[in-house]
Amino acid sequence: MSRIIDVLVVGSGLAGLVAALTAAREGRSVRMVTDGMGSLAISGGCVDLLGYAGGQRLNDPWSGMDLLPPAHPYRLLGASRVRAAVDMLLQCAADQGWPLHTAATPEGAPCNALLPTIMGTLKPSYLLPDGLDPAALARARRILVAGVHGLRDCRPALIVSQLRRYRDWADKDFVPFMLPSPLGATHRSLSALDLARLVDRPRGRDWLIQNLRKHAGQCDAVLLPPICGSRADASIWHELNQAVACPLVEMLSIPPGVGGLRLRDALLRELRRHDFELVENARIIRATTDGKRCTSLTALAAGQERRHTARAFVLATGGILGGGIELAPGSARESVFKLDIPVPSDVTLWSEPEIFGNHVFSRLGVRVDGEMRPQDDSGQAWYDNIFFAGRSVGGYDFATEKSGHGVALATGWQAGRMAAATAGKFHEPASGEQL
Amino acid sequence: MSVRINPDQCIACTTCVVHCPVAEATPNFLGPRMIGPAYERFRLLGLAEDPSLHYCANCKNCDISCPHDVPVSSINMLARAEQCKKQRPGLRDWVLAHGELQARWLRLIPAGLKNFGMLNPVTRAVLDALGIDKRAPLPRFASQTFRQQARGFRQSGQNRKVVFFPGCYVDVYDPRTGLDMLWTLNRAGYEVIVPDEFVCCGLPMVANGFWQDARANAERNLATLARWREQGIPIITGCPSCALMFKTELPEFFPDLAEKHGLTPLEDAQEFLLDCVERGELRLESENRASLPELRVIYHAPCHLRAQGNGLPGLELMRRLPGVASRNADAGCCGISGSYGFKKEKYAIAQDIGATLFRTVRESGAHVAVSECGTCRVQILHGSELPCLHPVSIVRQRLEALNPA
Ligand SMILES: Cc1cc2nc3c(=O)[nH]c(=O)nc-3n(C[C@H](O)[C@H](O)[C@H](O)COP(=O)(O)OP(=O)(O)OC[C@H]3O[C@@H](n4cnc5c(N)ncnc54)[C@H](O)[C@@H]3O)c2cc1C
Ligand code: SF4
Ligand code: SF4
Repeated sequence: MSRIIDVLVVGSGLAGLVAALTAAREGRSVRMVTDGMGSLAISGGCVDLLGYAGGQRLNDPWSGMDLLPPAHPYRLLGASRVRAAVDMLLQCAADQGWPLHTAATPEGAPCNALLPTIMGTLKPSYLLPDGLDPAALARARRILVAGVHGLRDCRPALIVSQLRRYRDWADKDFVPFMLPSPLGATHRSLSALDLARLVDRPRGRDWLIQNLRKHAGQCDAVLLPPICGSRADASIWHELNQAVACPLVEMLSIPPGVGGLRLRDALLRELRRHDFELVENARIIRATTDGKRCTSLTALAAGQERRHTARAFVLATGGILGGGIELAPGSARESVFKLDIPVPSDVTLWSEPEIFGNHVFSRLGVRVDGEMRPQDDSGQAWYDNIFFAGRSVGGYDFATEKSGHGVALATGWQAGRMAAATAGKFHEPASGEQL
Repeated sequence: MSVRINPDQCIACTTCVVHCPVAEATPNFLGPRMIGPAYERFRLLGLAEDPSLHYCANCKNCDISCPHDVPVSSINMLARAEQCKKQRPGLRDWVLAHGELQARWLRLIPAGLKNFGMLNPVTRAVLDALGIDKRAPLPRFASQTFRQQARGFRQSGQNRKVVFFPGCYVDVYDPRTGLDMLWTLNRAGYEVIVPDEFVCCGLPMVANGFWQDARANAERNLATLARWREQGIPIITGCPSCALMFKTELPEFFPDLAEKHGLTPLEDAQEFLLDCVERGELRLESENRASLPELRVIYHAPCHLRAQGNGLPGLELMRRLPGVASRNADAGCCGISGSYGFKKEKYAIAQDIGATLFRTVRESGAHVAVSECGTCRVQILHGSELPCLHPVSIVRQRLEALNPA
């Protein structure tokens, strides 16, 4: 760990991966230290940008940006930077054979899509892989809804009865259908990921194609759980689509959601093309600082402490569940620099009775400026070379806004860029600065 | 069992399930979340063990991926120990857990005969009946153990000292790697001490459920380590699994022993060598560098190394060698997990798990594969047919070729 690197990224969720990729694409050496894989790996993998704002559901997420409170990360960044971050992700994913697209309004403008879940609900999201084409669903009159024996979480009959409650779906014809299990009797109940991994192989694709062909002919689209392969390889879905001769559309699933694993696969592959190293199973426990400069972070791993020295640092440590924010009765703080996060001292005020209410806890996080530097009460940056990204940043509520991966992407991009620029500055001999 | 791990840290997020190679290979394994923290609640209630516990390979990918520091693999190993107390594991598992002991017993028999005895088709058929798959790549005994050979190795004029824990694999089957380590440490100016008292680190015993034997070995090793630690001499190993055993498993499984003898974490030898390079004790470049042809290396990171949170110092060492182009295979677990992939009912699972790695190695165009772990090396050769060496062997080859003594 002796090498001094340009940018050290903590955390391997979407925010960390995007920050690492942005800095690496600027030519910086990047090391990622992480104590766990991050929520991307279990998520659905569509990027929610902004589904709700000011109490309204948004068709155009960009139109909602101005309705957000001023301290919201999107407001701090400004819509043009959020767009630039989205563009970078589109580029990287396409380069890795995992193209993402957006739904479009009748006029052809990009918009949110309402995606069916395996619970039969609809969820707004923005960036979608090929296997999720809302237009195919909108056009379809008759939809085959497929489940698989042994996959207990996905029940076509339930999905159909739930979907019928939505106005746009009420008058469609649904054909619920159970595919036989390709694995026979198994000791554990199957997950969508088990099936997706089977479909990675020709044997699994044959199973799916043979079974769908029998029924898809009379339908305009097939809704199925996310089982069209586990890796970032869009060709699998295209092959299946052609063989079945009917558009296949995947539903969003409870964890493991498969889609996130594919996106993670694409981002990691892209990262490997750069000067990037990954240190797994190490927890950052403290920072060494010199005035407004952080010089190193110390990791605890296998009972030993190790210092990681870098020129700039990105903390993408996630929220309360990710490990980036620690709670104690009546107080909250960021977990590495121990930055205080203001909260009401009365814990009962942290949450609302309504489950999707305006909870204090769900917006808890580090206060940052537009460059993603953590700020003190007076609005001054605590440190010059520390940048936060993702769920560790405060001021937004991803669950009610439906903005989770979107904020992780936008803040990760900005933090990675700023860290790259800062590390570059420390490289210049003219500045005379030495670490 | 005196040790218990609280399963309530688990939030059932399924991250470990996504990263468990055995769960990927077979739907007959409950998977880490269910067999570990979730089933632990049933165990605490006194319910019978789940029949799929034996599938866990103790590879640690669950621990690596868990965002909540749940020691899933340790929960599994403790459960296995408990199960083995009730029902003694069979002869096959005893054989696989006690390779070092058998080597000691067989010491007087020449290696040629031993290997003929162990590897001929008749014995393999007998072993197969016992449950050791006849296709599995059982390693060959060396003609002399590493420690026997090390005694004859002339170490001259070194003023710094280091203690080397070879691990059974190097000692019994692969002395060459041990000698390459000796040679390289000598180059860096270190006299290498290889104590006779060291025994197997005990990881194969834990994995096969021989808890008392693992404890006895731990006691002996920790006492030996403490003596060298008190003299202020660094203690290193080139084997990631031995290092992991001493750093995290022993204190977790036998806290009383750790307390009694104090903790002596084994340092990673590759990291130690990197530090030697940093300090200027070991020079990897030379004046006549242009003369050597480029060596293309594909590197496999053992899961037990990744679990230590120390990055990949062996790969970093390769990258510092002039004229060596090294690539990280980054293709997941090799499948062998110590003795797991030798077992008849696990062989196919192990090959299935390793398939991505084997393909990556075969298609890499590399001259040689490199990995720190002995059984990973055996498995990579078996699955990809490309020879696989320890990083230190590459270091020695290159330095000898660059700077002939
Ligand atoms: C189950 C689930 C499904 C979701 N699905 C979607 C979806 O489909 N679409 C969407 O847009 N959003 C989704 N979200 C929301 C979205 O995942 C998150 O809001 C966003 O991706 C958070 O990313 P992050 O990188 O900030 O945090 P995380 O993904 O939580 O990553 C934090 C990382 O930091 C590491 N870490 C923390 N502390 C330390 C430390 N001290 N040292 C080292 N490492 C540390 C953690 O191990 C982890 O790797 C989902 C969330 C969940 C929980
Ligand atoms: S140790 Fe390996 S095989 Fe066992 S549960 Fe964990 S990941 Fe799976
Ligand atoms: S053990 Fe860890 S990774 Fe696995 S489900 Fe529990 S919290 Fe998640």
